[in-house]
Amino acid sequence: MWKEKYKIGVELIDRQHRELFRRVSDFVKTVQGEGEWEEKLSKVKETLEFMKEYVITHFNDEEIYQKEIDYPEYEKHRQIHQKFKDEVGKYVEKFQQEAYSEETVQEFGGKLMAWLINHVAGEDQKIGYFQNRGGSV
Amino acid sequence: MKVQYVNSFYKAVQDVFGLMLDIKPERENPAVADDMIAGNEANVMIGITGDLSGSVLFGFSKDMSLEMVRIMSGMEMNKLDSFVSSALGEVVNIISGNAVTNLAEEGYICDIVPPQVIIGENKSISMATEKALILPMKTEIGKFKMNISIKENR
Repeated sequence: MWKEKYKIGVELIDRQHRELFRRVSDFVKTVQGEGEWEEKLSKVKETLEFMKEYVITHFNDEEIYQKEIDYPEYEKHRQIHQKFKDEVGKYVEKFQQEAYSEETVQEFGGKLMAWLINHVAGEDQKIGYFQNRGGSV
Repeated sequence: MKVQYVNSFYKAVQDVFGLMLDIKPERENPAVADDMIAGNEANVMIGITGDLSGSVLFGFSKDMSLEMVRIMSGMEMNKLDSFVSSALGEVVNIISGNAVTNLAEEGYICDIVPPQVIIGENKSISMATEKALILPMKTEIGKFKMNISIKENR
C-alpha cells in the first residue's frame, strides 16, 4: 500500500506514515482474507486498538513538528486531524453497539484506507514542501 | 447549468485521480438527461447545499471500481463488498470536497451531503431535479460517468 511518492522528506513523519500504512495494509488483508469472521475478530480488534493510539500519537507528533517549523497551515491541518479523530470515534461507538459486525468493520477499512492515502499524498506533502523550501509556502 | 459547476467537478476529478490513483481522466462529449438513473454497477451520489443545491451521481462499472481499490490497496479485489463500496464512497467524498473548494474560488459557498453508495444496475433515483448533465469520462482503467444536476439558490 505504501508508495515512495508518499514520503515528505521528514524522517520522523515518514517513519510514522510507513508504520500506519503497514498497519492499515495488514488490517485490510485480515478483513478481506478468507475465513470465518469470528476467527478474524481478535486480530481485527487488536489492530484497531493499536491504530486508535498510534493515530493520536502520530497526529500529535506531526502537529508539534508543524509548530516547530512555524508551518502556516497548522490550524487548518489540526482541524482536518480533529475531524478524522471524531469520525474514528463514531466508528468505535458503532463497533461496540454492533459487536464488531463484519459489514461495519469493512466499511471502516475502506474509508480509512482512502482517507489515509489522500491525506498523506496531498495535505501532508505540503509540510515537506514548506520545510524543504526553507520555510516558504 | 453553468460551466463553472461542471468544471469545478471536472478539475476535482482530475486532481484526486492523479493524486490517489496516478490516473489522468479525460472528458468526452457531454449529454443532457431528464432524470438521474443509477445505471451502473456501482453508483455514488452526493448532495450539494448552500449557495447551490443539487446532486452529483458518479457511475462506475464493477471492473473499474475493483481496479481503483486495487491500485490504492495493492491487493486484488474480486467483489463489490462494503470495503470496496466504502473506499469508492470516500474517493467521491474527497472529489466533492475538492469541488466545493473550487466552487468557493468562484464565489459559491457550499457544503456536501455525505455520499450514498448504491450497488446494482438500474436503480432509479427519484429526485425533483432540473435536467442533469451527463459527463462521460475516459481513463486507462475504464470509463465512468458523472451526472451533474446543480442549480443556484440565490
